[in-house]
Amino acid sequence: MNIFFRELKANRKSLITWSIVLILLIMISTAKYSAFAGDESMLKVLEAMPKGLMEAFSMRSFNLTTLTGFYGVMGVFFYLMGAMAAAMWGSDIISKEERRKTVEFSLVLPVSRNRVITFKALAALVNCILYVLITWGVSLLAVQKYQPDQAFRDFLALEMQAMFIIELIFLAVGLLLGCAMKKYKLAGSTAIGIILVAYFLSVFSGMQEKLANLKWLTPFKYFDSADLFQNGRLDGTSLLISAGIILLCLAAAYYTYNKRDLYI
Amino acid sequence: MKSNIYTHELRMKSRSILTWSIAIFALMFFFLSIYPSFAEEAELANQLMSKMPEELKQAFGLSNTDMASLLGFYTLVMVFTQLCLAIQAGNFGFGLVSIEESELTADFLLTKPVSRVQILTSKLLAALTAIIITNLVTGAASFLAITTFRSSHTYDAGTLTLMLVGLLIFQVFFLAVGLVISLLVKRIHNVTPYSLGLAFSAYVLNAFSGVFGDVKLEYITPFKHFDPNYIIEHNAFDTRLVLINIGISVAAIAISYWLYIRRDIHAVS
Repeated sequence: MNIFFRELKANRKSLITWSIVLILLIMISTAKYSAFAGDESMLKVLEAMPKGLMEAFSMRSFNLTTLTGFYGVMGVFFYLMGAMAAAMWGSDIISKEERRKTVEFSLVLPVSRNRVITFKALAALVNCILYVLITWGVSLLAVQKYQPDQAFRDFLALEMQAMFIIELIFLAVGLLLGCAMKKYKLAGSTAIGIILVAYFLSVFSGMQEKLANLKWLTPFKYFDSADLFQNGRLDGTSLLISAGIILLCLAAAYYTYNKRDLYI
Repeated sequence: MKSNIYTHELRMKSRSILTWSIAIFALMFFFLSIYPSFAEEAELANQLMSKMPEELKQAFGLSNTDMASLLGFYTLVMVFTQLCLAIQAGNFGFGLVSIEESELTADFLLTKPVSRVQILTSKLLAALTAIIITNLVTGAASFLAITTFRSSHTYDAGTLTLMLVGLLIFQVFFLAVGLVISLLVKRIHNVTPYSLGLAFSAYVLNAFSGVFGDVKLEYITPFKHFDPNYIIEHNAFDTRLVLINIGISVAAIAISYWLYIRRDIHAVS
């Protein structure tokens, strides 16, 4: 249990930094929304934009002049921030022991490697939960002046659930990288690679009908905010795939870390 | 400058150069392979667009660019390339001297008969070389991919070259800013979150100002300083913004020297 508290404390600063970036993002964007709210002529311009381009910025099927539509477009940025933070927390929480040459110390303590991973993962999980709650809370505060209706609150709740699942996916991937990579330096850079590829794929998959199937390769498209908006719930297949990825990554993380020859 | 520090640093960066170069090649070819079919669709959209009032089009960053044209389409992939290279340059910048401290090799390096100025200069030049190599590879990839997929469409090679030159200045910006931030904070344990955070924050700000058409953000994000849409439209840089960008880079490097010479470096106990 003390590993858990130790890690929570060690990651506090990182949580604060990522939160500040996110809060700035929300504040800037909601401030911009004011110039945008209820502007009929803007809607016409949007309708005339090339479809592929709208897809690329996931602006399809949204009425940007409403708060809900606006937040739907913001969705992908929230997912992106959540994914980055989670992947960094996941990979770093394991690999930092090797980087900072403390791994021998923590592993001579009378705790199994399984317990080390479990408590570290739990600490990172708490961070992820807090991150979503902060996003949620700050969003609600920031849109207060536009008098959000119940429909918006429901949509925001849905979007935040999706953000949390995406965080979980990338947390699991990050943990696996931290556990499996023989060189601790590779864990972080591989995480970057995965996030960039996933993000680019999510942009590409919308640009053309032919590439639509690419969306199964990228978690950012599992809970496309346009679909959330239309269906009012998280897609079942996507939930199943996400659960699969998370469990697989976690199992692989435990397995590899137990077998692993640690870098000292 | 010390040539052995330089060569050692460059060798350390060779893997990063290789990985990012392959990534950029793949990105370029994959993206431009969509172009032929995208062009037809965009042609129709452009006709619709031309009927819109000018003020409304101004509200959108991309509005004046013809998406059906080869370079217009290229601007989309250019932004992604910028994002990738910003992360790479940020990695170099944040890690340039902080890596010695986090890997506990700083006191070894500083006991050598080289001044701190020499160390920083050699390291900076090595990072600069790595950045230039990646930039040249990006240029080669762009021209190759465009020639492969352009079919009958034409493009202005001069404008493309201008974008690539802008890209280099853009990379130097992230190197310099990364370096100065790494020296301003007490200690950097892990470079990745910093470079990722810096590059993506700038990218997201840019995406916002593109979608929602605000002018003030362009001063903050370097993505706007070298906006490919502007370059296509005017066939020139936005001099004012580029000067701001270069000014920040130069100031950041100067401050870095000042800070590094005075830095209290923790010894391994």
